[in-house]
Amino acid sequence: MAAPAQLGLQNAASPIMEELIAFHDHALMIIFLISSLVLYIISLMLTTKLTHTSTMNAQEIEMIWTILPAMILIMIALPSLRILYMTDEFNKPYLTLKAIGHQWYWSYEYSDYEDLAFDSYIMPTYFLEPGEFRLLEVDNRTTLPMEADIRVLISSQDVLHSWAVPSLGVKTDAIPGRLNQAMVASMRPGLYYGQCSEICGSNHSFMPIVLEFIYFQDFEVWASYLYIV
Amino acid sequence: MLCQIIVQAKKHLSLIPLFLFIRAGGIGAALYLLHLALFNPDVCWDRKNNPEPWNKLCPNDKYKFYSVNVDYNKLKKERLDF
Repeated sequence: MAAPAQLGLQNAASPIMEELIAFHDHALMIIFLISSLVLYIISLMLTTKLTHTSTMNAQEIEMIWTILPAMILIMIALPSLRILYMTDEFNKPYLTLKAIGHQWYWSYEYSDYEDLAFDSYIMPTYFLEPGEFRLLEVDNRTTLPMEADIRVLISSQDVLHSWAVPSLGVKTDAIPGRLNQAMVASMRPGLYYGQCSEICGSNHSFMPIVLEFIYFQDFEVWASYLYIV
Repeated sequence: MLCQIIVQAKKHLSLIPLFLFIRAGGIGAALYLLHLALFNPDVCWDRKNNPEPWNKLCPNDKYKFYSVNVDYNKLKKERLDF
């Protein structure tokens, strides 16, 4: 989850998010370089005593400032397209989870496990234990096995919602009447927080998502324990 | 129009890279559109013989323009044929 006043991306828990962070750093570095160069040139131009009032032809510099930006744009576009296609890939998933948005909670169904389904409401502030996070905790966390590709089918029962978990690099719209597919895989156990990311009414800010990734064996035990409808 | 481009390019050599990049971008966009038109299963050209190509998807076919990690040819077809 995000630390207070955090500006950057959250730490990656999935390989896709690692790629996204690397690409973000790459693109941001290019932006910083260009901006510093432009600022430096502006400062030079504003502080020089030299003037040249009869420039009519500048073929060499025109060539440079056509070719160089084109190369920079290609250097940004190629990794971007690679990541775009990578996020759309679906390897053989170990598990399928259905995340259905309602006003104003999420419900999860593990259809691989005969009738394993539950609702996930926000934990009201007055019920929080010390150390828990305000507006981020839920009553029933979505437990999943780590180091496994999980297919998440996202839809909505009423209005538009969006299922987003920043540390895993997932944000997929929940559209009523449509099933969207996302792949989720965590490399380590832990709790990953997210929030609804599409305006859906008065309690749009109060329907968080908490994914709890645990070891494979513990997940099997959890799934066999829990049959709440 | 091509004559005009050549005349201008001879007068100002720095226009040549500009024309090249614009041409490459335009051709790339047109080719991608053609790829989508010909290979995307959501597109139907022949209503008589192939009316709904989106209903004939196969796990081993390559529908995306570029596949990074997954080789769709090597996937096993585990579903029954209907």
